[in-house]
Amino acid sequence: MKIQTLLLLLCMMLPQFSQADGPPKKQTYPEGLLSLNPGGELWSDIRQRGDSVLDGTSQVKGVDSGILINASGVEWANFRVNELTTYSSIALAAVFVLIFLFFLIRGKVGIEGGLSGRMVKRFTDYERIVHWTLAVVFLFLAITGLILLLGRPLLIPLFGKEVFSLLASASKESHNLVGPLFLVSLLMMLFSFVRRNIYEKGDLTWLLKGGGFIGDGHVSGGFFNMGEKTWYWIVILIGLVVSVTGLILVMPIFGQGRIIMEIVHVIHVICALALIVVSIGHMYMGSVGTEGTLEGMKTGYVDINWADAHHDRWGKECHEKDLIISAEEYDKLVGTSSVNEADGSKTT
Amino acid sequence: MIENLIDGPLWYLSLAVFSLGVLWQLAAILFASRKPDLSVARGSAGSSAIKTVFSRFLPHREMRARIGIQYIAGYLFHLGLFALLFFAAPHVLFLEENLLGFGWTPMPHWAFIVSAQAAFLGLIILWLRRLMNPATRLISTRDDHIAALLTFVVMLTGCLALLEEFTALRLLHRFTVELWLIYFPFSTLMHAFTFVPSRAFTGAWFGRRGVDA
Repeated sequence: MKIQTLLLLLCMMLPQFSQADGPPKKQTYPEGLLSLNPGGELWSDIRQRGDSVLDGTSQVKGVDSGILINASGVEWANFRVNELTTYSSIALAAVFVLIFLFFLIRGKVGIEGGLSGRMVKRFTDYERIVHWTLAVVFLFLAITGLILLLGRPLLIPLFGKEVFSLLASASKESHNLVGPLFLVSLLMMLFSFVRRNIYEKGDLTWLLKGGGFIGDGHVSGGFFNMGEKTWYWIVILIGLVVSVTGLILVMPIFGQGRIIMEIVHVIHVICALALIVVSIGHMYMGSVGTEGTLEGMKTGYVDINWADAHHDRWGKECHEKDLIISAEEYDKLVGTSSVNEADGSKTT
Repeated sequence: MIENLIDGPLWYLSLAVFSLGVLWQLAAILFASRKPDLSVARGSAGSSAIKTVFSRFLPHREMRARIGIQYIAGYLFHLGLFALLFFAAPHVLFLEENLLGFGWTPMPHWAFIVSAQAAFLGLIILWLRRLMNPATRLISTRDDHIAALLTFVVMLTGCLALLEEFTALRLLHRFTVELWLIYFPFSTLMHAFTFVPSRAFTGAWFGRRGVDA
């Protein structure tokens, strides 16, 4: 009953408002009335048009609770839907095209003389666990993040709105939950590998010669070459930015307002996208792009010829310290096959 | 149709298989025939059994550096999963309404999220260690991998359904829980019930022979 009365009163007031919105008429205003169109000016202030920013008051106490309409939010939403989505799609497509072209031109980067079967320990179990933990968490976040970013234009036409809404909800919740694990695994990565990723003399030469991937010239490298070190620091530094911005977005409890959240969101997306794009290159080079590389992260051992070809300074150290093991020893250590002690025959 | 199946018959079937299966397995262990030990006792079996139950909570001194991460990940996963199972608000409510008829104070939402994160991180690290370490990889059976994968899927579907607004996601989570319950008694997941008697038995066996296990 009260609502009906209220609606009736509002309806009675409407003509007065419509008169106020009409063209200004020459008439005398009561004392104290300063504007010809107070309703229009009020809405102009509420929408934050012009120089003045209206900060109202509200029973609700909180950040930005006095602002009815956030004008910058519209700009952010438009930027997110138009520019961010479009350029992200182009960047992702471009990296796949570049990798495909690189593969066509260069093919799989082999090792001179092929693999010897004699192996050398490159990574400990712990280091590989750290690498794969970060990789698993990163891939999960990348997939769910891309669903949230590009799902609307790409997935709705394929699966329809209902399926996409379900997928988006699942992605958002899981992305927010798993997100902080990225920071944890990133810190594990930082402390495990930092010592060997400090730039040293000779790294610049590697860069200037294109890492040996361009042309046929041999490029000298230590345990990690310049490319790997740069990838490491990209992961750490941009990863930290992604993590911190992610935490700011997922925990709006530190007084961060809408404008901060909008800026942080854009930084988060751009940095995450940069990581995704470079990581696709890393995945290619670490697997099908280079012969014998994946073995290092699978078993912890690499072929000595691989070490000599890509990390000759470290390879030389392995030779000098006699760290190379035979194929049989390697098989025993990693458990890929068993050697029959009696006749020496090997079964894989 | 599928909603009725998952919320109804399949739920009761999985619960029955889980309960009867666990009881059957425990009874089989309890009543298994053992040869009488005729050796002269060199130490106390009872005290060694109790000691071993608790001493296994920490890594052996000599092994600490090698398996430290396994212990940390193990605690993260098991404590996280335990907190999730019994103290997450949706689970407490579910147990109250569907099984027990009474509930208890659930943990706050932030603790729920932290528990889930700890469980996820722990399980990922444990599984990777199982795959990365040559010794654990060789002694791992298909059952170990299925158990880990199934537990991961249950946790993941629960995570996907966090918003509690989509019936399809809730059903997906419940369906994986039901598969998990059915698989539980016939797999290494049974260690949730057997780890205490198993440790006690090992402790008693060695303790009687005067060996510090």
